[in-house]
Amino acid sequence: MNIVTGFFYLFSTVLIASAVMVISARNPVHSVLFLILAFVNAAGLFLLLGAEFLAMILVIVYVGAVAVLFLFVVMMLDVDFAELKQGFLQYLPVGALIGIAVLVELVFVLGTWFQAPGELITRASAVKPGVSNTQALGQVLYTQYVYFFEISGLILLTAMIGAIVLTLRHKVGVKRQDIAQQVARTKETAMEVKKVPSRVGV
Amino acid sequence: MNAPIFALAPVLPEIIVSLGALGLILLGALRGETAAWLVAELAVAILGVAIIVVLRHPDTTGADFSGSFIDDAFGRYMKVLSLIGALVALLLSLDFTAREKFASFEYPILILLSTIGMMLMASANDLIALYMGLELSSLALYVIAAIKRDDVKSSEAGLKYFVLGALSSGMLLYGASLIYGFSGTVSFNGIAHAIHGQVSIGVIFGLVFMMAGMAFKISAVPFHMWTPDVYEGAPTPVTAFFASAPKMAAVAMMVRILSTAFPGIVTQWQQIVGFLAILSMLLGAFAAIGQTNIKRLMAYSSIGHMGFALVGLAAGTQIGVQGVLIYMTIYLLMTLGTFAAIISMRRNGQMVETIADLAGLSKTNGKMAFFLAMMMFSLAGIPPLAGFFGKFYVIGAAMEAHLYTLSTIAVLASVVSAFYYLRIVKIMYLDDSVGAFDKPYWVVDWALVLSGIFVLAFWVYPSPIIIGAMAAAKSLF
Amino acid sequence: MIPLEHYLTVAAILFTLGVAGIFLNRKNVIIIMMSVELILLAVNINLVAFSSFFGDLTGQVFALFILTVAAAEAAIGLAILVTYYRNRGSIAVEDINMMKG
Repeated sequence: MNIVTGFFYLFSTVLIASAVMVISARNPVHSVLFLILAFVNAAGLFLLLGAEFLAMILVIVYVGAVAVLFLFVVMMLDVDFAELKQGFLQYLPVGALIGIAVLVELVFVLGTWFQAPGELITRASAVKPGVSNTQALGQVLYTQYVYFFEISGLILLTAMIGAIVLTLRHKVGVKRQDIAQQVARTKETAMEVKKVPSRVGV
Repeated sequence: MNAPIFALAPVLPEIIVSLGALGLILLGALRGETAAWLVAELAVAILGVAIIVVLRHPDTTGADFSGSFIDDAFGRYMKVLSLIGALVALLLSLDFTAREKFASFEYPILILLSTIGMMLMASANDLIALYMGLELSSLALYVIAAIKRDDVKSSEAGLKYFVLGALSSGMLLYGASLIYGFSGTVSFNGIAHAIHGQVSIGVIFGLVFMMAGMAFKISAVPFHMWTPDVYEGAPTPVTAFFASAPKMAAVAMMVRILSTAFPGIVTQWQQIVGFLAILSMLLGAFAAIGQTNIKRLMAYSSIGHMGFALVGLAAGTQIGVQGVLIYMTIYLLMTLGTFAAIISMRRNGQMVETIADLAGLSKTNGKMAFFLAMMMFSLAGIPPLAGFFGKFYVIGAAMEAHLYTLSTIAVLASVVSAFYYLRIVKIMYLDDSVGAFDKPYWVVDWALVLSGIFVLAFWVYPSPIIIGAMAAAKSLF
Repeated sequence: MIPLEHYLTVAAILFTLGVAGIFLNRKNVIIIMMSVELILLAVNINLVAFSSFFGDLTGQVFALFILTVAAAEAAIGLAILVTYYRNRGSIAVEDINMMKG
């Protein structure tokens, strides 16, 4: 057993164990933390497969952004989590049975995979030898696949508009800085010269 | 001198809508909430321009972006349907959003973004393009369902739609990954080439997962659970949008992937589609009977109608696809007309949406009662109204493909569902009036009248739609 | 070299766990959203494994865009959840029952 095989089993075991914990942990904060562990281990699997760029992106995007977003919402919604977990087990036996049946079927189907002969595989963008994974992805991402790049821009725009329109609220009665108003102040509006009569006061 | 060749010409309608949406965001950001009405009107104009550009496009087939995007007669036909759905839904919501106080300039922009996604779905020619278009349209739809954010029902509708929608895209993606793994390519033509002759079980499994995801999007049974709740919870013009445009795009993507990527395993997917069709038609016919809320009733009605559209697809032939296209066109106009009537159901400034509120409508508003009755007759498929011809073409195609059981069940389901459509007509004409509705906004009124005229007069001059659908179906085979 | 089937099996287990997480969890919507993320992770492992064994970058590009879209999807899902919580004061699955029929 060489070192790669060892790492494969390490990563996949921890990945699956943490996935189990994600769906069964009593406290959602723990679930999020196990989700992060799962992502880090999946990134390890990607490294073993030679997809180093995706491995790094997985850590940056998921652990750095998505998981933190989850954590943020879990903390923000002040929910009584103790009662949220009751009743999980009542569906477990039948659920586990169906799950295992589906899994066995899937694994059986996946076992039929065979390496198709070279001429059958239409490599849309073949891996070139001697080019690093990041460079190779960069070369096709903005050329051959620029269409998807543009669509993902629109998707992110949609997400931004959606999140803002659903959650942004302008509270009335809160003092805000209005830069335009500040800049627009002139000597006339800012200062007032008053003649104060002597011995009377303002 | 030759005309210059623009590489991006096939994508022109999408570019117009995208740039329009971006411009409207700027306008909205600069003018603030006061611009909501103006932004909505401009969005309608942009959609109108896009429809004209698609319709005036020369009758050619062109691919773009290394074959990921295909511009053919089929794609253009479905794009026009989606654009019409979005345009009319936006028109119907003009007055409604202002009255119900959720007018924000983001609403028309989200509709535009969602419509771009639908256009990309109709033109997607590989798995990645299909997924990206689907997500662009769905993400905007989730937000639109919850757009009335202070309303419990609306946000619940958004949450339900999101959770089930995310699950269905996960299934679709898992299927897509299996298909990529077992065929070695993501392009539809490549998949068709790879599975020619020998079929691995992995591809079939992948197709089953993808069909589950797509069935969710067209709300076919057994993936329909979200439909009644989302239809009821979302604001009515949003429901009109949900019932029209996204259905067109989802059917387009389903028809295209099945007929261009999997013609080699037609017998396998025929069974799945037939199964979905039977369940949808039966559920649509029986579950709608006990409904009291007219939006829920329309949800079950749309589930049933998607079942009928799938009957045409199950035939697996060019005539079948032509039937699907004709069916979807007629369904689109019937649905928009019916929702125009539902949006007019406002009494003393309050929206009412139970079927009982329609009682005696013929005495208080004879015109609306007449056209709504025509919609109901057409939805039930009573000749010579348009709805009959839709059913005629899909069932005819199924008969020609020797799918006799499927055709028989379709006819039976159609008879059963006629019951609840006719019940509404009976309530409108024979029951005692419960009071007049407020005067509807003129655009809503016109939408009902125009679609009513379409439904009534379809048999006089059906050839433009039938010829268009024929050309569109031909471009796939 | 680890055979491809092993990667696919890991992904299949992850996918099943994700689906099970959605159906078994009757209480907490946030866990359901995390289960969706697990499903997408399974898909990505599948795609990257196939891509690596084919020597074809398409699968990795697909996975890259799934990551992008999944981030957007999580943002929208959580925004909808926050809106819902503000209206109902609860995120329990069994409370999502305003409409029945």
